[in-house]
Amino acid sequence: MNNIRLAWRNIWRNKRRTLLTAASVFLAIFLALIVRSLQIGWFDNLSDIVIQSYSGHIQIHKKGYWDDRDINNSMVFNDSVLAVVKSVKNVDKTVPRLEYFALSSFGKQTKGVMLAGTDPAREDALTKLSAKVVRGRYLEPRGKGILVSQGLASFLGLTAGDTLVLIGQGFHGVSAAGKYPVTGIVHFPSPVLDNQMVYMNLPAAQDFFSADDRITSLSVTLKNPEEINSTRDALQRRVDGGKFEVMRWDEMMVEIMQQLKVKTAGGKIIIAILYMIVGFGVFGTVIMMTNERTREFGVIVSVGMQKSRLAFILVLEMILIGLTGLLSGVAAAMPIMLYFKFNPLHLWGNMAQAFISYGIEPLMPLALKSDFIITNVITVILIVFVTCIYPVRRIFTLNVAEALHK
Amino acid sequence: MNIIEITGLSKVYDANTMPVYALNGVDLAFQQGEFTCIVGPSGSGKTTMLNMLGGLDSPSSGKIMIDNTDITGLTSRQLINFRLRNIGFVFQSFNLIPVLTARENVEFIMQLQGVNKDQRDQRTLELLDSVGLNDKINTRPNKLSGGQQQRVAVARALASKPKFILADEPTANLDSKSAEILLEIMEKLNREEKITFIFSTHDSRVVAKARRVVTLEDGKILSDVSSTRPGS
Repeated sequence: MNNIRLAWRNIWRNKRRTLLTAASVFLAIFLALIVRSLQIGWFDNLSDIVIQSYSGHIQIHKKGYWDDRDINNSMVFNDSVLAVVKSVKNVDKTVPRLEYFALSSFGKQTKGVMLAGTDPAREDALTKLSAKVVRGRYLEPRGKGILVSQGLASFLGLTAGDTLVLIGQGFHGVSAAGKYPVTGIVHFPSPVLDNQMVYMNLPAAQDFFSADDRITSLSVTLKNPEEINSTRDALQRRVDGGKFEVMRWDEMMVEIMQQLKVKTAGGKIIIAILYMIVGFGVFGTVIMMTNERTREFGVIVSVGMQKSRLAFILVLEMILIGLTGLLSGVAAAMPIMLYFKFNPLHLWGNMAQAFISYGIEPLMPLALKSDFIITNVITVILIVFVTCIYPVRRIFTLNVAEALHK
Repeated sequence: MNIIEITGLSKVYDANTMPVYALNGVDLAFQQGEFTCIVGPSGSGKTTMLNMLGGLDSPSSGKIMIDNTDITGLTSRQLINFRLRNIGFVFQSFNLIPVLTARENVEFIMQLQGVNKDQRDQRTLELLDSVGLNDKINTRPNKLSGGQQQRVAVARALASKPKFILADEPTANLDSKSAEILLEIMEKLNREEKITFIFSTHDSRVVAKARRVVTLEDGKILSDVSSTRPGS
């Protein structure tokens, strides 16, 4: 009779108790995994969307731009600035943009728009903008052709081949006006973006806003996003820190990050409570098992089993109960996580509005990553081990003669 | 030849406040092949004596030599090993491991000793046969009667080939028929295989079968009588 077989038989002496204990472990790990999966999926999705649809991992602006996004807070951008940025080891792609508001007009319709001047090739490399073209063709690096978002085009009643009139205020208050041929229509999942975006190439935008060689932001993507802090610090040192601000994507999205932190903290509290419940559940079982078998422990030690081996068997029993709950919990949670990873949940209410206000689709896929699964599994195993301290101590301090007369 | 020699054995409880002597300076020796009963009223020190002999409890003073080993000087770990190889136990409440079958309960001791599987299997079957339970080898304790459980306990006690078996009131929880069968088995094992049995008991049937009766009272030996029955 090896230790595992003996432990396995022991745990099924009291089936109901074993099943209840395993069920509490099952429930805890199942809910913990789903909650963590939601949190991480949510965060990853958000960061991916923000990084890949707009911000990049890091942005460089003129100091103060992010608080006051005015064209007068734009900065000079040239090859030497680009060379400095590119000299930082972890920097991958860069996208210069000149963004500001303008008024658009077509026929009898007029609407305020966000005009983004960008480098077409670099923009496409970061945000895959060309893939969003639903009619016409993508931007050219030169010329006056523009892309209009589908919602805006629909409002104005224009399509590819039409000409849009743009009027606005340029750098240092200069009047900005021009007629631009629409070369393509782009569709954004986010209604906010879809109803207001106009893209043109950077030289055309600089010309429109009378802001030669100027940009409002330089988006930077990283080769290794894990090193975002050190890269930001390196960029801050290389560029003139007094003139420029170097911001991580999450520093720019303060409101949504705060909401995320609140939600994440709430989730962590729920998980902590779950683990406390499972800890007490398992501990209760351990106390009952230990107390009702004290005489048996006495017998086993008296006939010649070392206390260390007996303690090992008892720990094994608790591990087997824990693993039964643990493995079934993970097995039950995995398909759900997998399904919602590829079929994201649709958010509603205030949270959905918050996402939309940032131009992000209100979707929440679940994450399926080995690291948080392993972390939770290890946490449950640790809880089981901690609860085993009591019976192990009881066995090592067991008075055999007294135990035999219990 | 003495296999157990007890010298000046005392066990005192509450030594600092109001000392109570469970055993008080006992000198005693047991020889190979004895079938001995320790009797006496409740509180006389029978169970304490058996616990001391089995190394389950430590004396306040005195010495217990078993086969030239002073077990009072052994560590807890050494004592467990010593018990495993030298002493068999039969308890009043049978105390079989409930999740193991009769066969596994007997085999368990040999597994702890590291006996190989073939030898274990053979000896287990022999032992269960010797206690008349070869038809119950795969039965768990809860499906056995009290008498059958106690016979398995005897087989388990014999499994380690001990120098002697300590039986603490082995018939106390048995009906008269089961007690009679058990006693016959133990007497036979003693007679034919020279296995040493030391009982503590209140049961007159056990006393009647014993060839030596040691009577304890207030932790001291009141009498030590050897019978001249045939077979002694």
